[in-house]
Amino acid sequence: MRTTNWNRFFIICVLASVIAGAAGIQLIRIQNIEGAKQILADSEAYQGINRMIYPERGSIYDSDGRLLAGNEVVYEVGLDLQAIQQPETVAAVASSVLELDYARTLGYTQMTPGNGNPYFIVLDGFVSKDKIAQLESIKEDYANRSTKRGEVRPNLLGLVWTANNKRSYPEGTLASNMLGFYSFLDRTDGIGYFGVEEAYNELMAGEAKQIYSAIDPNLLTSLEEIPPGVTVQLTFNREIQAMTEKKLDEAIEWSGAENGTIIVYNPETGEIIAMATAPRLDPNEYWNYSDLFPNPKPYNSAISSTYEPGSVFKVLTMAAGLDSGVVTPNTTFNDTGSLYVGGATIYNWNMGGWGEVDMTRCMQHSLNVCLAWLGMELGPDRFYSYMKSFGFDRNTGIDLGGESHWPLKLPGDGLWYEVDLATNSFGQGISVTPIQMVTAIGAIANDGKMMAPHVVKAMVIDGKQYNIDPVVVGTPVSAETAHTLTTMLVNSLENEASNALVEGYSLAGKTGTGEIATPLGYTNSSTNTSFVGWGPADDPKFLVYVWLEKPEISIWGSEVAAPVFSNLVSDLVVLMNIPPDSVRLANKPGDNSIAGTE
Amino acid sequence: MEKAMKKNLVQAYKQAPWRTQIQWIGIFLLVLVGIAVVAGVYLMISGRAAAAGRRIQSLEAEISSLEMEINDLKTQYAQVSSAKSLGERADALNMTLLDPLRAMYIEVPGYIPPSQPALAPPPAVEDISTPVLLPEFTASLWDWLRLQVFIEPNLSVESPESDGTGLISPAPAEVTP
Repeated sequence: MRTTNWNRFFIICVLASVIAGAAGIQLIRIQNIEGAKQILADSEAYQGINRMIYPERGSIYDSDGRLLAGNEVVYEVGLDLQAIQQPETVAAVASSVLELDYARTLGYTQMTPGNGNPYFIVLDGFVSKDKIAQLESIKEDYANRSTKRGEVRPNLLGLVWTANNKRSYPEGTLASNMLGFYSFLDRTDGIGYFGVEEAYNELMAGEAKQIYSAIDPNLLTSLEEIPPGVTVQLTFNREIQAMTEKKLDEAIEWSGAENGTIIVYNPETGEIIAMATAPRLDPNEYWNYSDLFPNPKPYNSAISSTYEPGSVFKVLTMAAGLDSGVVTPNTTFNDTGSLYVGGATIYNWNMGGWGEVDMTRCMQHSLNVCLAWLGMELGPDRFYSYMKSFGFDRNTGIDLGGESHWPLKLPGDGLWYEVDLATNSFGQGISVTPIQMVTAIGAIANDGKMMAPHVVKAMVIDGKQYNIDPVVVGTPVSAETAHTLTTMLVNSLENEASNALVEGYSLAGKTGTGEIATPLGYTNSSTNTSFVGWGPADDPKFLVYVWLEKPEISIWGSEVAAPVFSNLVSDLVVLMNIPPDSVRLANKPGDNSIAGTE
Repeated sequence: MEKAMKKNLVQAYKQAPWRTQIQWIGIFLLVLVGIAVVAGVYLMISGRAAAAGRRIQSLEAEISSLEMEINDLKTQYAQVSSAKSLGERADALNMTLLDPLRAMYIEVPGYIPPSQPALAPPPAVEDISTPVLLPEFTASLWDWLRLQVFIEPNLSVESPESDGTGLISPAPAEVTP
C-alpha cells in the first residue's frame, strides 16, 4: 500500500514536472516562432509613441517684469469619429456652443471613418476656456441625467478637446511696433514677424523635438525635458511707452500730421526707453496687418522709414566741424542769405541774411547757408568720413526685425553731385531713419561714444538670466566736442526761448524742418517736422526724437515738433524720477532723493 | 557501534518507507515554494515599478497641464493689470500724473533706489539638483540583486542622499560669487 502511494506520488510529480516542462518549452517555442517575432514586432508599436513636442514659446517682459507677450490656454475641439454614438446630439451641442453650422457639423458626425474618410476631424482649433466649461457642464448634465426604462441617455462620446498654448499680447496695441507678432494660427509652422518676435524668433521658439514616450510604464526609463523657448526682458518700461504713445497720438491729432514717430533713448547705454509709431496693430489680431499697413507702409517707421530730416541733421555737421577743428563756437560767418554751390543757390529758411553770426547763432537760427558753408569748409572727404562714423551708411543693427536704411550718396558713386555736400550739411538730399538719427546724435549726448541701440535687456535661458551689456559701436567725435556742442545747443534753445524748453531742466536740442522731395522737385507746402533733444544737459539720461510727417497746423519743426518734445519730457522726467536741476545738482553726488507732492 | 546504527537506520527506512517519501515531498515543496517566493518578489517589484511608472506618466501630464495653467494665469493677470486698464481705473479715480514742478524731493540718507526686477537668477548661481528616479525603481530584480551582491555590496544600505522617499534630496547648492 505504501509502495503504491509512493508510486502514485512519484507519477504525479513526474507528470506535473512533464506538464510544467512542456508548458515551459512551449512558451519558449512560441516566443521564437516566426509568428511570435511578428507579434513582438507589432507590439512594439503599442509600447510607446513618437511625439513631436513644440516647446512653449518664450515670453516677453518689460523692464519692470510686466508681461508683454505670453501664452494662454486654448482648446482644440474635434470629433473622434470611431467613438461617436449619437451623431445628432454631438452635432447639436458642438454647433450651438462653438457657433458652427449645424448641418455641416452633423455631416461630419455621421461620417464613417476609414475608406478615405478621416478618423479625426478638427472642428475648431482655438476654443476659449469658457466654451470648454460649457461643454463640460453639458457633458456632466448628460451623465447625471436620470432616464426611464428603454430611454437612451444622451452622451457626447466622440467630442474631444485638448489644451494648447496660444500666443497672447495682454497689452494689446502697446509697443506692438517693437514686439511684432507671432502667427499663432499656424500651430506647427508659426513664425515671428517684425520687432522682437522676428529678431529673436528662433531663440524664443526653442527647439522642437521628436521624443519617444513609453505607454508601458515598465519601459519608462527617463523623463525627457523639453526646455521652453528663451524669454526676453526688454529695455523699456510700459508706463513710459504708454505715455509716449499717448503723446504721439495727441500730437498727430493736434497737428493734423499724416504720421509720427517718437523715440526715447538712453544715450549712455543705447537702451530704447520708448518707441512710439502710428498706426499700431493689435498683435492678438495680426491678420489685420495688411489692412492697417497697405504696401509700402512700414510696420515700424522708427526703424524702417527713411526721410530727409532737415535741420536736426545740422547737429552732426556742426559736430564734424568742431571735432575736426574747422570751427569753434566763436567762429564767425558772414551770412548774406545765400550761397552758390555746384550750380545751385542755397537759401536760409526765411530767405534772408543774418549778417555776422557765430556758430551758436548759426544753430540757434538754424541757418542753412552757414551750415552749407561749414560743409564746404570740411570738404567731402572729411564730411562723409564723419557721416560714415555716425553710421549713416548702414543699419544700426537694432535688435528689431524689419530695419532698413537708404544708401549714403558718396563722391564718386555716380549719384553724388557737389551741391549734395552743401544740402546734406543741413539735412536735405540725405535720407535717414529716425533710429539712425537717434544713434548718431546719442554720441553727442554721451561724451562722443556711440552706443548700439537695443531693446532686449536680458534673456532667460534654461532658468538663468543673461544680461546684455551696452556696446560702444564707435567714437565719432571726442568728448570735448560733444560737451561743447551740447553747451551750444543748450544756449541756443534758451536764447531762442524755444517751445521745447521744460521749466527747471537744462536741455540741449535742435529743431528740424525737412522739405519733401516730389517728382516736381522739393515742396515746402508740406514738410517733415522734427525735434531732437536730450537732458539733463550735464548728465544726459534721455534723448528724445520727435518726427511728425506733413503736419497741417504749421510747416515748422519749432512750432510742431518742439512743443511735443516739451510736453513729453514734462511727463518723462516724472516717470524716470529725474528731479529738476536745482534739486538734482544740490543733492549730487548722493542722489538719494525721493519724489513726493507738495 | 557505528555499523549497528547504520543497520538500524536502513531497517527503519525499510519498515517505514513514508519517511523517504516525506523527504522527497519536502524537497519538492521547498523548490516549489522557492520558485513561488522568487516569482512573488518579482511580481511585487514589477507591479510596484509599473505603478510608479503609471504615476510618473500621470504626473508628467499634470506638470504639463499645470505649466500651461500657470502661463494662462500669468497672461490673465497681465490682461487685467494692463497699462490701459490701470490707466482707465486711475482716470476714474481722478488721478493725474505729477507735475514735476509741484514735486517735493526729500533727501533720505542711506536710501537705495529699488533695482529693476530680474526674471531669473544669474548663471553664476548653481541650481539645486532636481529629483530623479533611483535605480531601485527602474532596475529589474536580477539587475538589483547583481548590483547589491556583486557590484556594490558595500552600498547595500540606502544611499546617503536618499531620504527614503525614492527621491534624492537636494545636494548642498554650490554658490559661486
